[in-house]
Amino acid sequence: MMKRLSLTNRVKLVLLAAAIGFGVAAPYIFSSFIVGLLSLALIAGLFAMSIDLLAGYAGLVTLGQAGISATASYGVGYMANKVGAGIPAQLLVGIAAGLVASAVFAAMAMRTGGVAFIMITLAQGMIVWGLSIRLYQITGAENGLTGIDRPAFVSEYWQYYYFVLTVVLICSFLLFIAVRSPFGSSIKGIRESESRMRMLGYNPALQKFYVFMVSGFFASVAGILFVYLNEFISPSAAYIAASAIGVLEAILGGIGTLIGPMIGAFIIVYIQNIVSTNLERWPTLMGLIFIVVILFARQGIVGAISSGWRRWLESRGPSGPGTAGRDPSDELALDSS
Amino acid sequence: MTDTLTQATSREAIIRAQRRKRRLIFTAASLVVFALLVWWILGKMSVKSFWLQALNGLSFGAVLFFLASGFTLIFGLMRITNLAHGGFYLVGGYMGFSVMNWTGNFALAIFGAAMGITVVGLFTERILLRPIRGMEQPEVLLTIGLTFVLGDLSLAVWGGDPTPVPVPAFLQGPLRIGDFAYPRYRLFVLACAIVVALVLFYIERRTRLGAIVRAGVDDRETVAALGINIKAVFTGVFMFGAFLAGFSGVIGGGFLTLLPGQDFEILLFGLVVVILGGLGSLPGAVLGAVLVGLIDSFAKALVPELSFFTLFAPMALILVLRPQGLLGRE
Repeated sequence: MMKRLSLTNRVKLVLLAAAIGFGVAAPYIFSSFIVGLLSLALIAGLFAMSIDLLAGYAGLVTLGQAGISATASYGVGYMANKVGAGIPAQLLVGIAAGLVASAVFAAMAMRTGGVAFIMITLAQGMIVWGLSIRLYQITGAENGLTGIDRPAFVSEYWQYYYFVLTVVLICSFLLFIAVRSPFGSSIKGIRESESRMRMLGYNPALQKFYVFMVSGFFASVAGILFVYLNEFISPSAAYIAASAIGVLEAILGGIGTLIGPMIGAFIIVYIQNIVSTNLERWPTLMGLIFIVVILFARQGIVGAISSGWRRWLESRGPSGPGTAGRDPSDELALDSS
Repeated sequence: MTDTLTQATSREAIIRAQRRKRRLIFTAASLVVFALLVWWILGKMSVKSFWLQALNGLSFGAVLFFLASGFTLIFGLMRITNLAHGGFYLVGGYMGFSVMNWTGNFALAIFGAAMGITVVGLFTERILLRPIRGMEQPEVLLTIGLTFVLGDLSLAVWGGDPTPVPVPAFLQGPLRIGDFAYPRYRLFVLACAIVVALVLFYIERRTRLGAIVRAGVDDRETVAALGINIKAVFTGVFMFGAFLAGFSGVIGGGFLTLLPGQDFEILLFGLVVVILGGLGSLPGAVLGAVLVGLIDSFAKALVPELSFFTLFAPMALILVLRPQGLLGRE
């Protein structure tokens, strides 16, 4: 017989089902513009999740993730625009480029942590941006690469939306399994105490390398989805702003949770594309949101909701269901440095 | 008892000797690499253009030194990674541009802008960073957000066109020595850097203030327990670092021109300087700035399309061989 689910998990399942139902129904309800934005938000959410895997679970905040996803995008773009190869070759080169960049970056950063890690990843991302501006033969410099057609079976905007939805759901599920696996526990261990993990026989540098690679893989997938969405890629995709927005989305939604970055991504994409179309100063607004979130809301939306929910459960009685088995280290990851 | 003591000391001596040996090998290897590089470069260009590129690199390195020394000072004492330093540089440069246009006085432009950025630094430290003091990662992320605000507001105020800071007549044009001519302004920047470096070294090594700062780097609690107002020292050092960033913005704006987006570009160079030289080390900032300046200058002349990548390679090398940087402490 199936185990009876706790109240918390039942609420979570209902909300998840509602979100997926909304996602499936969206193209029947909204205009093509909104559906395009939903695709963008889903991709941004996957990108923010890949950052959160590093920042929230391993405690390694990265400011260069856009460098990795843009490398994957350029891999696809180069094969499509300069070589004229078919879709399989584009995908293969895209993923390979993203993974090679991840491996090089990870090897450089794996022996550091904390603030040094932030600085190194920032420099890495900016170097990808610098190269994409200067290597005209490969990247088309500021003009970017055009003519990156979507595969024929997803050429319509709504077809591509369903494709993105499917890929992002699969990736989220894989990430969900990853953070609950022994691998996930070991990277949380690195965040909590590197020296203790070393005593337990782990090699922290190697663990960091692995988690960086996993994160880089999902960032590459996001980069590839992104390049086919726009059918275009330019250096701004690798710029520090792109990386920083991903970090902002992860923190705003709730770092150390997987659903948080997705929620954060939807909010930021909404503000950037709908609220601020009448506002010229989007970077200022983004910077201010950044500062306000860091000063007053480091827990993020999901963090605030889940601690409020727990308080409500406790007020119903000390032995209320759903409080057991919580991992308190899931929240406030950013404070523990 | 005495046996274990002598054992311990002898083991320490062995470790120290090993470390000295390693450092010697490292230094020798770096010198050999350096000599080979010079030999290779001289095969590619004339001696005259070699000196030209070297001076170009050193004068760019001078600007990077102003920037990186403030950054590294703040980091060394407070463990705050101020990524808004690039934003301070850009806004400082624009302020200097405006003061220069109003008054025509270059010294006033430099110090007016530097003081302006000092006030921005005071605001940043007291209002924005104080509530999250000690939380390293939130501090870094806040300063990134601040950089976006500063960059975008300066775009609104000063526009998006490349803006050089006007320099006074006596610093314009080349200085000729024999048949060798070199821009006066860049020589002036180099001279400034030497003076500033000497002053900073003097303050750090020889004054009471420097002693407090050095002690604060090692052990903040004890310094506070000795009756020194460490919070005031923190604020002062942060303001001084901001001052240097504003200073470098005006000086650098004189020959690098100011552009939107340059805040992050110069920040990248500054970060590579401190990663190479070692975080929190003033001599490291000097060495890193010289290296990055020279690498950038020669790379632009020899392999222009790879000019960013040439920063990447030495950074990767250092991070693998010596993660704490060339002159950084473990």
